[in-house]
Amino acid sequence: MNIGIYSLAFFIMIGMMMVGVPIAVSMAVVGIVGGVAAYGLPFMDSIAPVVWGVHNENLLTSIPLFVLLGELLLRSGIADRMYIALSAWLGRLPGGLLHTNIGSCALFAATSGSSVATAATVGTVALPSLQKRGYPMRASLGTLAAGGTLGILIPPSVNMIVYGSLTNTSIGKLFIAGIIPGLLLTTCFMLYIAGSSLLSGNVIREPKLPLAVKLKTLVHLVPPLVVFGIVMGSLYFGIATTTESAALGVIAALAFVLQSGKMNLELLRTCFISTARVSGMILLIITAAFILNLTISLTGVAEAMTKWVAGLGLSATGFVLALIVFYLILGMFMDVLSMQVATIPITYPIAMALGVDPIWFGIFIVLMCELGLITPPVGMNLFVVHGIRPDRGGIEDAIWGALPYAVIMILFTLLILAVPQIVVWLPAHM
Amino acid sequence: MKDQIENVLAMVFGGIFVTLSVVVAVETLSRKLFNVSLQGADELGGYALAVGSTIAFSLALMGRNHIRVDVFHEKFPRALQAFMNWFSVVSLAVFGCFVAWISTKVIMDTMQYGSTAQTPWATPLIWPQSVWYAGLVVFALVAVGFALRATWLLANRRLEALNHDFHPKSAKEELKEELDDLAQRQSAEGVKP
Repeated sequence: MNIGIYSLAFFIMIGMMMVGVPIAVSMAVVGIVGGVAAYGLPFMDSIAPVVWGVHNENLLTSIPLFVLLGELLLRSGIADRMYIALSAWLGRLPGGLLHTNIGSCALFAATSGSSVATAATVGTVALPSLQKRGYPMRASLGTLAAGGTLGILIPPSVNMIVYGSLTNTSIGKLFIAGIIPGLLLTTCFMLYIAGSSLLSGNVIREPKLPLAVKLKTLVHLVPPLVVFGIVMGSLYFGIATTTESAALGVIAALAFVLQSGKMNLELLRTCFISTARVSGMILLIITAAFILNLTISLTGVAEAMTKWVAGLGLSATGFVLALIVFYLILGMFMDVLSMQVATIPITYPIAMALGVDPIWFGIFIVLMCELGLITPPVGMNLFVVHGIRPDRGGIEDAIWGALPYAVIMILFTLLILAVPQIVVWLPAHM
Repeated sequence: MKDQIENVLAMVFGGIFVTLSVVVAVETLSRKLFNVSLQGADELGGYALAVGSTIAFSLALMGRNHIRVDVFHEKFPRALQAFMNWFSVVSLAVFGCFVAWISTKVIMDTMQYGSTAQTPWATPLIWPQSVWYAGLVVFALVAVGFALRATWLLANRRLEALNHDFHPKSAKEELKEELDDLAQRQSAEGVKP
């Protein structure tokens, strides 16, 4: 077989996804048809052990656990109160509450992996007061859409677990590797807000609050920080594996919910059903991805693609730059989790053959997914922030508002390409 | 009826993972603090996922959570939308049946060789696998049920109903669910939404 057939199969798969065939089915069909075409019906026999292997993989158990952890903090209202605390502390910076948006989203991200929940919660609390205080709508929508993307870069991140499980990369190291880029990207966003606010000549700041009031708000930050500390601390110091750290996080979250007095059966039911739906969706896609992966590894697609790319004389840097363009375009049309799962089986082996660091590549892929969340026409976060704006206006406000952040993300990707230590330094010291 | 089934499945699902969290947390702490390992928490995690994921597949199906790209779908004429919605449900049913069917081989092999897990517990694999298999069959049956309903709607040219029940979940809908929940949380806190 040759590159032409592989490319055709890839584009058929993408085409099926685009017309609305469920993502999991699209991947499984291409995987099964490809496998049977190459090996005949005996190929079917090799699928079953793969399916059991995926469903019995202790590492993937961390997915429902992390989703549950985020749900518990969200549905009990613990996460909502973080905004109050952050607005008291960040409001004095030039750009005022816009910083709070980014900061809250980043902190929210540290506990929850859902960008819809992040943007919806922070946005609903923030947008009416932003509007009342005369913040420009575009800037407000942009900060919320961009801030919401931080959720998949700042650990725990389901997208990193998916990358790690598909490529056999340490998820603990990926999580740790996400911390510095996550904080740095958050800082870049805030620097942009402060800079553009100062340059506009119309600097918005929030009124000064007495220190006593500010200190009092800190109590709202305790639960998310403690949960984050337990999860990341136990990973960093090698006390727990990824799944164990997730379980410890769930127990801590349950304790905080109990202590807040919000614990009841209805709350648990809401958390459980929501966790089950999200995990079921992710795990079915992963199941399909592993079936596709089986075909890819048996038929040697990755090797052929690697050879082809090497034949083009591309360097690792050239390849990554080409991938930025590729993911930028794909991310405009595809849901990011699907994009990630559909492309990693091909792009990862090529990157490895060209000598790219697997941890670095994971963070790169996550950044590309973040970009996909705010690039039109299918940028999930654009729809979400557009959906919660209190006034009537077009989606283009969200698109234009988020554009500077998309540019920052691309520049940031180039920065980690130039200085890979930003990503690989911390995990190397675990 | 559907709500009740969902609630029961959700409670079982949640129960599995909360129990697992407790066991794993106890195991991790006792291992680090007292150097006593209960062993097998990892293994239990794998089985929890095997059973939990199959329940989750069904719940995701009932909640229309299995992702479909809707960017072009929204631009399709109504009849084509109806066809794609029908096709999606049927394809999920076929996929569900396929996975259940090939997994029969895993069960057969386990029974034939009396396989046990390669762990200190040496758990007979048929125990977790039979529950897992049952979960896959339930998922396949639920999917087939949905597919039959969609087919019936299509055959009777009830395209509106078909599109209403089986269209891809949009960002707007997901957002609405989040906002409803948020409003509830805030009214519980006594904050004005």
